[in-house]
Amino acid sequence: MLKNNRSSKIRKLLKKNELYLFLVIIAYSLFITSINSSFLSLENMFDLGKSSAGMGIMAIGVFIVLLSGGIDISFTAIAISGQYIAARVLIASGVDNIIFAFLISCLVGVALGAINGLLISYYKIPTLITTLGTASIFHGALLTIVGTKAINSAQLPDCFKIFGAKDLFILTKPNGVNYGLSIFIIMFIVLALLTWLILKYTMLGRGIYAIGGDINSAVRSGFNVAKNQLFIYCYVGFLAGIAGVLHISLIRYSNPTYLVGTELSVIAAVVLGGTRITGGSGTIIGTIMGVAMVTILNNSLILVGLSSYWHNFFVGLIIIISVCITSYQSKRSIGNIIFR
Amino acid sequence: MGRNYLLGKYSKHSKTLTLLIIMISIFTVISIFLPGKFLTVRNFQSMFCQIPEFGLLAIAVMLAMLTGGIDLSIVATANLAGIVAALILTKFTFPQIGGYEELFTILLAIASALTISLICGFLNGILVAYVGVPAILATLGTMGLFSGIAIIITKGYGIVGFPEKFLFIGSGTILLMPMPMIIFILCALAAVIILNKTIFGFRIYMLGSNPIAARFSGINNENILVKTYIMSGLFSGLASIIMISRVNSIRPGYGSVYLLQAILVSVLGGVDPSGGSGNIFGLVMAIITLQVLQSGFNILSFSPFSKKVIWGLILILVMVINFYRAKSSQKPIKRLKIN
Amino acid sequence: MVEKLEKLLVVKDINKSYVGVQALDKVNLSINRGEIRCLVGENGSGKSTLIKIISGVVKPDEGEIIINGKKFRNLHAIDSISEGIQVIYQDLSLFPNLSIAENISLNQIIEKKKRLINWKEIRDIAERELCNINKKLDLDERVENISIANKQLVAICRALTQDAKLIIMDEPTTAITKSEINRLFSVILGLKKKGISTLFVSHKLSEVLHISEKVTVIRDGKLVGVYNTEELDYDTLSFYMSGKKIVDTVFNYQEKEKQKEPLLEVKNLSKKSNFQNINFKVRSGEIIGITGILGSGRTELALSLFGLNKPDSGEIYIDGKLVKIKSPRDAIELGLSYLPEDRLNQGLFIKQSIGNNIVITILQRLLNRFKMFDNNKKYETAKEWVKDLNVITPSLETVAQALSGGNQQRVVIAKWLATLPKIFILDCPTVGIDIASKSNIHNIIKELANKGIGIIIISDEIPEIIRNCNRIILLREGRIVKKVNTDEMTEDKLLDILARKSN
Repeated sequence: MLKNNRSSKIRKLLKKNELYLFLVIIAYSLFITSINSSFLSLENMFDLGKSSAGMGIMAIGVFIVLLSGGIDISFTAIAISGQYIAARVLIASGVDNIIFAFLISCLVGVALGAINGLLISYYKIPTLITTLGTASIFHGALLTIVGTKAINSAQLPDCFKIFGAKDLFILTKPNGVNYGLSIFIIMFIVLALLTWLILKYTMLGRGIYAIGGDINSAVRSGFNVAKNQLFIYCYVGFLAGIAGVLHISLIRYSNPTYLVGTELSVIAAVVLGGTRITGGSGTIIGTIMGVAMVTILNNSLILVGLSSYWHNFFVGLIIIISVCITSYQSKRSIGNIIFR
Repeated sequence: MGRNYLLGKYSKHSKTLTLLIIMISIFTVISIFLPGKFLTVRNFQSMFCQIPEFGLLAIAVMLAMLTGGIDLSIVATANLAGIVAALILTKFTFPQIGGYEELFTILLAIASALTISLICGFLNGILVAYVGVPAILATLGTMGLFSGIAIIITKGYGIVGFPEKFLFIGSGTILLMPMPMIIFILCALAAVIILNKTIFGFRIYMLGSNPIAARFSGINNENILVKTYIMSGLFSGLASIIMISRVNSIRPGYGSVYLLQAILVSVLGGVDPSGGSGNIFGLVMAIITLQVLQSGFNILSFSPFSKKVIWGLILILVMVINFYRAKSSQKPIKRLKIN
Repeated sequence: MVEKLEKLLVVKDINKSYVGVQALDKVNLSINRGEIRCLVGENGSGKSTLIKIISGVVKPDEGEIIINGKKFRNLHAIDSISEGIQVIYQDLSLFPNLSIAENISLNQIIEKKKRLINWKEIRDIAERELCNINKKLDLDERVENISIANKQLVAICRALTQDAKLIIMDEPTTAITKSEINRLFSVILGLKKKGISTLFVSHKLSEVLHISEKVTVIRDGKLVGVYNTEELDYDTLSFYMSGKKIVDTVFNYQEKEKQKEPLLEVKNLSKKSNFQNINFKVRSGEIIGITGILGSGRTELALSLFGLNKPDSGEIYIDGKLVKIKSPRDAIELGLSYLPEDRLNQGLFIKQSIGNNIVITILQRLLNRFKMFDNNKKYETAKEWVKDLNVITPSLETVAQALSGGNQQRVVIAKWLATLPKIFILDCPTVGIDIASKSNIHNIIKELANKGIGIIIISDEIPEIIRNCNRIILLREGRIVKKVNTDEMTEDKLLDILARKSN
């Protein structure tokens, strides 16, 4: 069964979904640029990157949950809780330090994520039902305790605003306006890289793939499944906490009713990137591209003149089309008639 | 021979019995603590008004869960159907047909709502049965799709002001029984008959129990699944009609809290999320329990946010209890050794 | 002293009981280094409990466990593994979404308690083990894409990475072809040379006799005896396992009055990679046996006849009329029933009641005047079949899960007989069923044939084929290689033909 290495590598590449998604992104971007030339400008790209970094970070979290064969819809509630609590603590304590903000938010995120992890790993409650319940509990608790009063820009500690404006490097347009590569994008890339490293080079990461592949075999092989699941949901909480701080720094505003309700877009991005909901299959690159595609799609709708009312519709459509393609492919590859 | 042999029969009955006890105890507790406000005709009438629309949605979710799937799009379907009906009721004027325009409009609105919800259910069914998309994801997607369409149509605004005759559905009474309740009882009865007395219903349970064995036994899985999701859609559509006639308005996003509650009530009512078991009787008891609790919370002026917390807690609690229950009944089932 | 080192595993006087059931009663077992032993016993005999005790998953109530000369008071799974005992379960417990290299190496990495992954190490370990059993596989291929036989080899490699001294295999030959079985056996012989023992748990008596050196027989939780394989034959072994001498009458085909058409005729049926040019007839009252090593296309063929595997070309005639079978429902309406190979997943609804299981195929007949489902009719119909087929159960409401294998199979047979079939295809009908039930089911089948039903039995067990069929069709790699009348054939001749030309 000796195959020519190079040709088999190319053949394997051609089979990957990610390649096609990449081509679709390129094609679509060119198409939009032809209608509105400002689309493919560096400034627009940087802008899009900055505003979608938060969603991207949450998408990484959803990605590893789906990899393990589960689903989490409480991450937005965790993100907004982390964000709001961090802002309040900073205001109350007078500390004006962005690192401190991240610390608080991530702590909250990990704690809430741990609740999910415990319920799922110990009580074996189906993940959809668990996170449906905890989303309600977390968000309801936040709103009960703090009400719906927002923290506006004036009250917000400066560290958030400074962080929100921080760029890695700045370029100037001919008309004198500055624009830069936001630190948000860097954070997203770093976290994506970190996650990739964990998945590829640690037992924890392989454990996630194993659990998603066959949870019983994982138990028999000696994986500590409960520990892995706890890690997964804590990690999601951690990422949600980071995304929360990014969000507040971006819009300079913290309203406890925000963010919740956007879960659909994040899940759509991850699913678009080729991650299967049945678990065990998916890549970081795919997720990143899924986020890119959803962001570009959203942005293009606005540029083309379609109002934001179309958002839900397109997100739903993306999910349906992507899963149709994925399901159709898997139906063809596995001989599904003979149930061996 | 012990309990183990009759595992099926006993566990089915013990679950329903537990539910009955829970329902009665919660009712009693609340009655004792809030006698003045709870045990009033007005309060009961108000409960009777809220149960139907929610109850129909709960039945919709239960049907999907019986097949081992789930339908996350029920509220979005109801929303869309309601909005279409509302548009017809408010925006369309029809040529004179001898004084019957209003009746015609109302009937058209109802028919449209039901048709839309049927189509929504049909789409879900096709995705799950023929394309093979896992139900969670399929209905997540259609949820976005349907709610998206609703937003596009209304541009985010609500619609108010329906003809009086139409409002009778939502607020009228026949012999002291609120109209919505009559509709709900009829629909619930229909569901009971379909599930217990028809071949279709029997097949739904078997399919949910083991889809592979179902296929090998000659059941047309795709057919049953599509029909089930269509039924789900239909019940959502019926719910929407009651919804909009009760509050005389509709806006996109209305009723979003019902999804969590519908799933909660199904699980509480004994429906197994993996499929194959659950009945309307248990569901109704769970619905009543929830409504009684809801009523109590309203009287005590709980904020909607704290109610959110409580519903989430109850959902998790029920699953945890189920976990312990399953664990304790896990003595090895003694195999009958006689040949 | 020397003898002690020779004995790898000794378990003495093991007792284990569950609620009211004595699963194991003073059972002894000892295995020497490099020995190939088979553990046989019917379902419920206690063999799986014994395996679980040896591997430390379950603790015995009483008894001694001595591994490598060390006594264990409280054997944990980890101890068992570190002493070199590896169990390969029937489902192989592999990760379909991970590569072959990972599947082989991960267990060892976990055991070493490493946190980080060194991909080179994973590949090296995998390559080394594959070398040890003389097999080349693409290390990066996902396990879900390889054949079951290769999956088994991957599982064995995985067991070997943890310095296995005793490999316990649960029903290893159930799903692989003859040539793959031979390869498996040669691998096991290779292990023997290295001093690694193998304990097979199997119910396939013909293979037990082929590969093992000694056989341990367990019945009803008690040790029946340890025998040298060369002193055993199929009937003696069956006798030890069941304690009953079963006299299986050979089937005599009585040709019905001149039939005009065969019940079933298959002409030139073909499906790419499944089977080619299949031609055969089944007449009323006949029992045709289809056999061939797995992979020969037998089940694929049966599924085509049942509407679950659309053929590319060819024709099917029932009662002389050309038919198109596009779904199981079509098949049922044409009078063709199929008893699936996988009783638990494909044949039964294990959490549903026996009554529900039986009537699922004939629901239309249970309607009352108002076209409503009639519970009484369901009860009556199910009761009749339970009585007819002698299903032992306290009530019709009992869930199918609670029945023994033999009774479960009878329920599935009842379900199909309820459709009043003309043609009945049974795929491995007595797999994993106790000997007495086996014989009972064979009698049922023979009676059905005598009533005029045309029957096809697909089976691996040569004695079953010889004793129950009047004609035999042999398949190899999707083609018919021979069609014979049973009276021209003996067990040995049949085994020969099957083994010939398989490398």
